[in-house]
Amino acid sequence: MITVQNLKKQFGSNVVLKDISTTIREKEVVCVIGPSGSGKSTFLRCLNLLEDVTSGKVDIAGVEVTDPKTNIDKLREDVGMVFQRFNLFPHLTVLQNIMLAPKYIKKMDKAANEKKAMELLAKVGLAEKRDEYPDRLSGGQQQRVAIARALAMNPRVMLFDEPTSALDPEMVGEVLQVMKDLAHEGITMIVVTHEMGFAREVADRVLFMDGGYIVEEGTPAVIFDAPKHERTQAFLSKVL
Amino acid sequence: MSDTLQIMSDALPILFEGLLITLKIAAISLVIAFVIGLAAGLMSTARSRIIRGLAGIYVDIIRGTPLLVQVFFIYFGLPEFFDTRIDPEVAGIVAVSLNAGAYIAEVVRAGINSVDKGQVEAARSLGMNRFYTMRLIVLPQALRRMIPALVNQFIISIKDTALLSVIGIRELTQSGEIIISTNFRSFEIWGMVGVFYFLLILPLSRLSLLLERRLNLR
Repeated sequence: MITVQNLKKQFGSNVVLKDISTTIREKEVVCVIGPSGSGKSTFLRCLNLLEDVTSGKVDIAGVEVTDPKTNIDKLREDVGMVFQRFNLFPHLTVLQNIMLAPKYIKKMDKAANEKKAMELLAKVGLAEKRDEYPDRLSGGQQQRVAIARALAMNPRVMLFDEPTSALDPEMVGEVLQVMKDLAHEGITMIVVTHEMGFAREVADRVLFMDGGYIVEEGTPAVIFDAPKHERTQAFLSKVL
Repeated sequence: MSDTLQIMSDALPILFEGLLITLKIAAISLVIAFVIGLAAGLMSTARSRIIRGLAGIYVDIIRGTPLLVQVFFIYFGLPEFFDTRIDPEVAGIVAVSLNAGAYIAEVVRAGINSVDKGQVEAARSLGMNRFYTMRLIVLPQALRRMIPALVNQFIISIKDTALLSVIGIRELTQSGEIIISTNFRSFEIWGMVGVFYFLLILPLSRLSLLLERRLNLR
């Protein structure tokens, strides 16, 4: 589904991703963990080219993302993204937030679009908030709407960039629950997260990143209970 | 002083005609200026350095020269160079439009830059191209924030049309001068001209406040 080969990314002289290679299978749920500054978010943002790649190859569903000739807008329709800071559109209602991209990009019929949007809202448990503006919602509710908004485009892959890091602790659970449900539905997911409990429970595979490399990867059981690399051990001993 | 009321009522129809011309020139100029300002403001946020540079040069030239000089250049300078004539009202409208357009471009640029980068990323990650992102996400938010600065510029430009009296347009200020040249009653006439401008501007200030309150927070 996703192949990353020798991905490198530098900002000026600062090399954030040194050499990343990995493959993510269809329907796989991959959690990316690691200390801050390890390049986790940058890695995620390179996958849909929110950051342009310095060198290396990214291939999603047979489309070479890093090829300059690729229609990146088209590719992004298939790659949903959820941000740490939600980034809902504040001038639109919840329903309008969800319906906007399908309306303008997929030219979706209004009735069908609204029906789909309401289904998604119901799925994240916020059907009654359809006509509210984002500033009237709590952080957890905003993030659930943001997930619904990304799902409205029927993406094949969902990228989550620290989706619970900006939330008050009591709201983390509701967002993780929605993400768990998604994982069980079989959407390919890549989740950059500090929620080790979530990674352990939901991930098929965990990537531990440090210093611009994937230092270690494996099933949650391997990474959390028997990490081989000493940097993984050091990190986990701090966060667990 | 006993004939003050008579003087004023005599002046009223002439000043009112002038007011209409001021209103016409201001309205046309501000519409054009808004289009120019929006275009130049968008250009100044473009990726291409050349496009940004062009917008920058335009803004710098206008901001770096007095409106009066711009008016003279457009009304006297350009027609002389091209050996032609230009209608004073047209010249006036062109001058005020270009002038206000440059300041509005800066307002637009600041408004666009004030929109959180995450908004653009969210839109782009949904598959929206640059055009849709600008039109559906960035500009609607930017325009709301621009309203106070925009109205401020509108007010300044409306008052700037008074300068057009120097090229013989019979707008409000010129009408006042014409009356005074026959009756020598500066106090009454300039007082009335001032009140006319004030009454023209006041509703605009009020409208701005109203808009701001209605669009607040969204």
